[in-house]
Amino acid sequence: MTVDQISVTGRPGAPDDIARRAPADRPRISMTGRRHRAFYLFTAPWITGFLLLTVVPMAYALWLSFTTYDGISPHWRYVGLGNYAELFSDPQTWNSLGRTGLFAIISVPLSIIAGLGLAVLVNRPIRARGLFRTLLYLPAVVPPVGAGLTFKALFDQNSGAANGVLTLFGFDALGWLADPYARYVLLMSVLWAAGNVMIISLAGLQDVPRELHEAARIDGAGAWRTFRSITVPLLSPVLLFQTVTGVIASVQTIMPLLLTPDGTTAGVTALPQSNYLYMMHVFSQYFALGRYGYASALLWVLFVLILIATGLIFRFTSGVVFYNVDPEAKK
Amino acid sequence: MTATSLPPGSTPRVRIRAGRLVLYTALVVVTGLFVGPFGWLVLSGLKTPAELAASPGHWLPAQVQWHNFADAFNLIDFLGYARNSLIIATLYATLVTLSSAWVGFGFARLEAPGKKTLFGILIGSMMLPQMITLLPTYLIFAQLGMVDTYWPWVLWGLAAAPYLVFLFRQFFAGLPRELEEAAIVDGCGYGTIFWRIFLPQSWPVLSASFVIAFTWSWGDYIAPQLLLSTDRSTLAVAVMSTYVTSAGTPVANLQAAGSVMYVVPILLIFLVAQRGFIAGTSTSGLK
Repeated sequence: MTVDQISVTGRPGAPDDIARRAPADRPRISMTGRRHRAFYLFTAPWITGFLLLTVVPMAYALWLSFTTYDGISPHWRYVGLGNYAELFSDPQTWNSLGRTGLFAIISVPLSIIAGLGLAVLVNRPIRARGLFRTLLYLPAVVPPVGAGLTFKALFDQNSGAANGVLTLFGFDALGWLADPYARYVLLMSVLWAAGNVMIISLAGLQDVPRELHEAARIDGAGAWRTFRSITVPLLSPVLLFQTVTGVIASVQTIMPLLLTPDGTTAGVTALPQSNYLYMMHVFSQYFALGRYGYASALLWVLFVLILIATGLIFRFTSGVVFYNVDPEAKK
Repeated sequence: MTATSLPPGSTPRVRIRAGRLVLYTALVVVTGLFVGPFGWLVLSGLKTPAELAASPGHWLPAQVQWHNFADAFNLIDFLGYARNSLIIATLYATLVTLSSAWVGFGFARLEAPGKKTLFGILIGSMMLPQMITLLPTYLIFAQLGMVDTYWPWVLWGLAAAPYLVFLFRQFFAGLPRELEEAAIVDGCGYGTIFWRIFLPQSWPVLSASFVIAFTWSWGDYIAPQLLLSTDRSTLAVAVMSTYVTSAGTPVANLQAAGSVMYVVPILLIFLVAQRGFIAGTSTSGLK
């Protein structure tokens, strides 16, 4: 199937209708009509995939959320809004939601500050700059399973380096991977990947016109003032992008699970309370208890919350970030 | 010690030297903090089980246990899992790169009613945590009998990834219009234009997209854990769950060695393809 074959058949209502009505052995097709059909043909894989692999599963989850379906028992039934009533009265829902919000509010700004700091550091004229950049970025490439095992080794109660350092200075060894310290390990595992923010900010820093820095210097602005008044505002679209992706990453992180002794989905039952994030609540309903209906209701609540959050972010920043939808129109 | 704390009257040259010293010290310390954790994993993989169980722990192995790496390779079917990971990652990365380029071309070079809305949905779907759709998708795949097959990755590959579509769209939108105009006059269809003219121009983006998708798939943990039985599963799942004795206790030193061997290929791929990888990451982040 080629685009040419598709595009010779006219679409009713399209501007090329007149051309079709004319009796001609060679149908003349308007360029516009051809481009329209080609656009739909080119975007078809994504549209189809989006419908089948996103819209349908979400609709299925919505349907399941009104049932007691557990995948095994044939006697599941329709319970209407029962699951939603249950989840709103379950303190675990609210606790895990609050914990996830707190985790995002703390980890996202910290990652951005750390990444920005690293970017400013390695953007200076230093020796072996490429080496430093690579080494600082590498942890961001380590897959989650590798990162989880790395932090389990680092914070192991007996053999971990963290407790090694503590005892070296005369402090007591801590149970890092249990309550209440597990949250700090989780936070550090996120900060370990700050190289992501560094790389993206570096690209942004290099786009900052040199003349601006020179003008600021001539006006007598110090390094901090220049950073605050020139670098940060010009990087703001990058920082916004980092904020949005950071929040989404913290909502769906599986790191708490990977930090449990087991590490598989069966490990949700061994989660320390301080790392029991919303997605872990979903996992424990889903995998440990097999409550697909209830877990689907939890997923839908999260989905709606994210819709609201991204809607708000876009509203507040519509003047800051500009997605050029129609690059050709500008030319 | 900072440059400003130097006694007054010190020459600018001394001050600059002191500033450099501070800068390099900070750089080395910070880099050490970032590299250190992985270094510790490597060290853990070189210790004996007794050393890992001892309290207080040992900083260095009394005798470096190089054979741990060979043992980690043999205790589980490491090569088999690595092959599964490689097949899935290559399959997915190839398909998703081609489909995303195809879709990206549509968004960059073609017009039709509804394009803005569709583009909005595309960008919006990047904000949707994949974990939310994965769980119901898994239930559907289970009912369609696609559990324990690689079909889910084929479908995900064919469906294009919004992030990569965006990457290709940005690249294609920046190419000159004359590229396709001559071809249209010659009567070429858009399929030919895409395949013959645009794709050969886009090797840097194609390779960046392939590397990015490959690392996604290699690093993915939840999807293979849900969809594949242990035998057919990937290295990510095997490293996390199969380094146990017959009694079920984890073998920490071999697990550390195994996970080093699981991570290193990705680090190597990154080092080789660094330029394109970073260009890809920052393009999507900026524009």
